[in-house]
Amino acid sequence: MARFAMVMDTRRCIGCHACTVACKVNNELPIEMIYNPVFTHGPNGVFPHVSMTFYPHLCMHCKNPPCVGCCPSGASQQDADGIVWVDQNKCIGCKACIQACPYHARHENTKTGTVQKCDFCKERVREGLEAFCVETCHQRARIFGDLDDPGSAVSQMVKSMHTLQLLPEIGTDPQVYYIVAPGSQA
Amino acid sequence: MKEEHSWGWPIASYLFLGGVGGGMIVVAGLADLAFDRGEAFSLGSLIAGIAIAIGSGLLVFELGRPFQFWRVLSRQKAIMTAGAWMLSFTILTSFAYFSFWPDFSPWRQLVGLRYLVAGINIILGLGVCIYTGILLGSLRARAYWNTPILPVLFLLSGLSTGVAAQALLAGAWPYRGSAADVEAAHAALRSLDLTLIVFEIMVLFLYVVMMRLAAGEVAARIAAKWLAGQKSLSFWGGLVVFGLVAPGLLYLIPSAAAHLAAPVLILIGGLILRFLIVFSDERAELPGESHYYSRLPKPDAPFLKAWD
Repeated sequence: MARFAMVMDTRRCIGCHACTVACKVNNELPIEMIYNPVFTHGPNGVFPHVSMTFYPHLCMHCKNPPCVGCCPSGASQQDADGIVWVDQNKCIGCKACIQACPYHARHENTKTGTVQKCDFCKERVREGLEAFCVETCHQRARIFGDLDDPGSAVSQMVKSMHTLQLLPEIGTDPQVYYIVAPGSQA
Repeated sequence: MKEEHSWGWPIASYLFLGGVGGGMIVVAGLADLAFDRGEAFSLGSLIAGIAIAIGSGLLVFELGRPFQFWRVLSRQKAIMTAGAWMLSFTILTSFAYFSFWPDFSPWRQLVGLRYLVAGINIILGLGVCIYTGILLGSLRARAYWNTPILPVLFLLSGLSTGVAAQALLAGAWPYRGSAADVEAAHAALRSLDLTLIVFEIMVLFLYVVMMRLAAGEVAARIAAKWLAGQKSLSFWGGLVVFGLVAPGLLYLIPSAAAHLAAPVLILIGGLILRFLIVFSDERAELPGESHYYSRLPKPDAPFLKAWD
């Protein structure tokens, strides 16, 4: 079985926002909806000791997704490979999952009345293709793969390097791992 | 982090109406089972059913797809699914309890059955009061909701607003008993509501103060807003003084006008509490997040509409 995850190598990210655009265009998102923004943290510090880090963002596809347990209609669900997604036919738009998500990864579509989110491009990655945001990243800052495969790049990076998860204290165990250069951590 | 509130006034109003309705049927059920005074509170059960039905209607109205609302009943494991079933049953049993009282009721004589419905109403009423606190309190992403004291606060507020609403309605049609009995019931409601208010003030105090002192950074920031910031006027003026302390004092004054004003103030206070809570939904900021969102174009920026 696979366990999909992503590593963000912020040392490589140059903040070009190509992933944001590739996702919006290929997934045909409404103009106000962004699945994967790139946040700029900083500049921090006082010259000459300054740092700035770009944090590419997307749904964390948490191991304990709070957005799944709270869904009253069963639309919000997690597959065995870890991908969290919303069945648009079952979603009633109660927005409980938006309230449950600590990462602002869920978005209300005011036209359809449903809640949408990043699904790791599940149709593509299950066929062995790359997610649009990964495919477009010319700096290879987004590394996608299977944590259950010890030979995969994500497994080796998570195992061998110091990585951060966002808001780990909430207990969701997010499956997006950030590699942040020493000295520039948030 | 500035962000649109996903839940707005329909949810806040529902939290209030659910609390009032739940509290009202608890009062009616206890009055019937423990003191044999159910008749004086029978109209209250009808109004409680209507209040919970309106609240549930607001919940449906707030959905993105209101006509798919039945799907909320379809999953067993979600708190909201349990709540939706409970609300549906409570509306029915509130109306059922009322139906034992009017002259034209064919089952007026079935006292045993009425006691059963009264008992069920007490359990469901308490459940409706507490459930919303569990729903909000279980959302770990929302620091100011994620505390075990929230269901306690909602329970006390639901009961005290329910008692207040019953105080306004006690002795109305279809009650046929003596006026002296109604006066005794009113006196009992006043002392009960006063007790509940005292406990509610203490729990509210503990809630806000512990959020300020012992919770994380986000919750502490919101508590500071309540105590001395943007929301302090609604909190101190609207909720504490106007909605809790003033009605408590009015209950102590032996005057008919004061006894009419106090329950009204308590109901308004209950509504203010729900609005304060629902709009205190901030979450922890991700690194660089607020800077990013502050730079996005406003939804009405002309260039966003240029290709429509």
